[in-house]
Amino acid sequence: MLTYLARRIGQSLLTVFLTLTTVFLLVRLAPGDPAAAYAGPTATSADLDAVRAKFGLDEPLVNQYGIFLRDLFTGNLGTSYSFHSPAFDVVMSRMPYTITLAVSAIAVTALVAVPLGVWMARRADTKRELGANVLTIAGQSMPDFWTGVMLLTVFAVLLPVLPASGFTSWSGLVLPTVTVAVLQLALVSRLVRREMTTALAAPYTTVARSRGVAERALAWRYGLRNSAVPLLTALGTRFAALLNGVVVVEVVFGWPGVGSLVVRALATRDYPLIQATVLVTATLAILVQLLVDLAYPLLDPRVRLGKAA
Amino acid sequence: MTEHTTPLLDVTDLQVELITARGVVRAVDGVSFTVHRGETVTLIGESGSGKSTTAMGVLRLLPDGLAVLSGSVRIAGRDVVADPGVAHAVRGRTVSLIPQDPMTALSPVHTIGRQLGDALRLRHPELSRTQARARGVELLAQVHITKPETRWKAYPHQFSGGMLQRILIAIALAGEPELLVADEPTSALDATVQASILDLLMELQERTGIGMLMITHDLGVARLVSDRIHVMKDGRFVESGPAEQIVARPAAPYTRELLSAVPRLGAWDEGEPVRQGAAS
Ligand SMILES: Nc1ncnc2c1ncn2[C@@H]1O[C@H](COP(=O)(O)OP(=O)(O)O)[C@@H](O)[C@H]1O
Ligand SMILES: [Mg+2]
Repeated sequence: MLTYLARRIGQSLLTVFLTLTTVFLLVRLAPGDPAAAYAGPTATSADLDAVRAKFGLDEPLVNQYGIFLRDLFTGNLGTSYSFHSPAFDVVMSRMPYTITLAVSAIAVTALVAVPLGVWMARRADTKRELGANVLTIAGQSMPDFWTGVMLLTVFAVLLPVLPASGFTSWSGLVLPTVTVAVLQLALVSRLVRREMTTALAAPYTTVARSRGVAERALAWRYGLRNSAVPLLTALGTRFAALLNGVVVVEVVFGWPGVGSLVVRALATRDYPLIQATVLVTATLAILVQLLVDLAYPLLDPRVRLGKAA
Repeated sequence: MTEHTTPLLDVTDLQVELITARGVVRAVDGVSFTVHRGETVTLIGESGSGKSTTAMGVLRLLPDGLAVLSGSVRIAGRDVVADPGVAHAVRGRTVSLIPQDPMTALSPVHTIGRQLGDALRLRHPELSRTQARARGVELLAQVHITKPETRWKAYPHQFSGGMLQRILIAIALAGEPELLVADEPTSALDATVQASILDLLMELQERTGIGMLMITHDLGVARLVSDRIHVMKDGRFVESGPAEQIVARPAAPYTRELLSAVPRLGAWDEGEPVRQGAAS
């Protein structure tokens, strides 16, 4: 167990490090000049040189990388060009919003998709099940900005019951949550349906039925419980993805999370901010994955960590 | 002697049609038989002859979309073919199933105690979890599971096939049924373990007077446990009669074929090989 944890943490650190290095190189190799973005359109070439010198961008790439590594290991992620404050602090000020949206969207997804998937499995191949399936797929196929704008139009403009933008009260969470959840719903509900269908056709279900267990209990107690590992995997993966920020939804709803921050950081070539965002979100995503993996043996006693089941 | 009492199981002209990709298959083609209290009636036949379909039809465990039943199956006088509600009412109370493959017959993510406890509480909702556990431990001891208290919390993959089949028998008994339907209860097990499971079933029958519908393809098993035997082929009975008669004076050529293929039963041995990682 401890060996397993140590190995996983080692792997995670390596993954984060490689991701960071890739991002470090990519942002610098991509076209665009942070100095130009920083100094504005009227800047002279002398101004630009001054800015480059200030940010250390006049150094050769290798030196820049060396400085980046040295700072990284002392816990310094640099100062954001556009916010003029430590990049890490800027990211962390946005994280609560992204985490709030991710938690709320995953919770709503699970609360709707799990009963829906159970229902679909129990009524597999009926017309109503087909209808539900088509609806969820339609939801998944709609571009998220489209879903978002539609919801905004209906609930913030036509019947102004919910705020259109920003996070001024908890009601501001509703529309972004629904928009994100609609995207996840088809995927998760169909996964639940598929896993449940397998479980409900398994010999142990027939044997349980033969001893008088009611259909409802078969579905919820045996079927769903036996689908727990793939379900948790799917929810964990979706959640980790949401922690990277839901760019389009955050922009449409003016949500002050990491997604909209990344858009701004990229537009201004704010290298330290981009790097800090990647570091924080990648670390969180890996942490979520690790927690999910650690939960497997609790959900399926046949699973041994670090070994094939 | 038993003619005047209502049989536990009274099957009349049962037909089962299976709707398959290749069309409708009449897997069971008009069979009739009865099982009385304290009796073991065996359906024997080679693989594919319709034995399991008969057993599952009797319990109405064939999916509605897959199987069409006709005829009648009276369990303690009530017809499960005419009324699916009867099947719900009798399953786990009047009749229980002992499955063919014990390795896949229990939910792998629930402890055996949970599954046995649930079965007990289904029959006796008034039992608390602790009471159900006390009774379940007793049942496990009855089917000769050693150290039942410690094994209560173990998962199916921690047991050998033979032990799982004992546990499944305990679970079947939890509903205090009058009739057991055993679909090849030993064919997935080692020969020595087979004998001990059959021994256990006969011991239980002696003690409780439970009726048994035994399914097997093995005439050695049939001879050992049966009062009456029905020889099945292509969904029909080709020969029926008391066990001694079928074994000593088989009339149908098909039965003689089955007889000539009788495998030897293993020693009456209690020892069971335990799989690696089994609970101790
Ligand atoms: N799920 C199924 N789909 C299609 N055909 C089936 C199915 N189950 C059984 N059958 C067919 O029904 C017949 C009887 O099968 P079964 O009752 O399982 O026989 P037995 O238990 O005697 O081996 C066989 O011909 C088999 O091919
Ligand atoms: Mg069979």
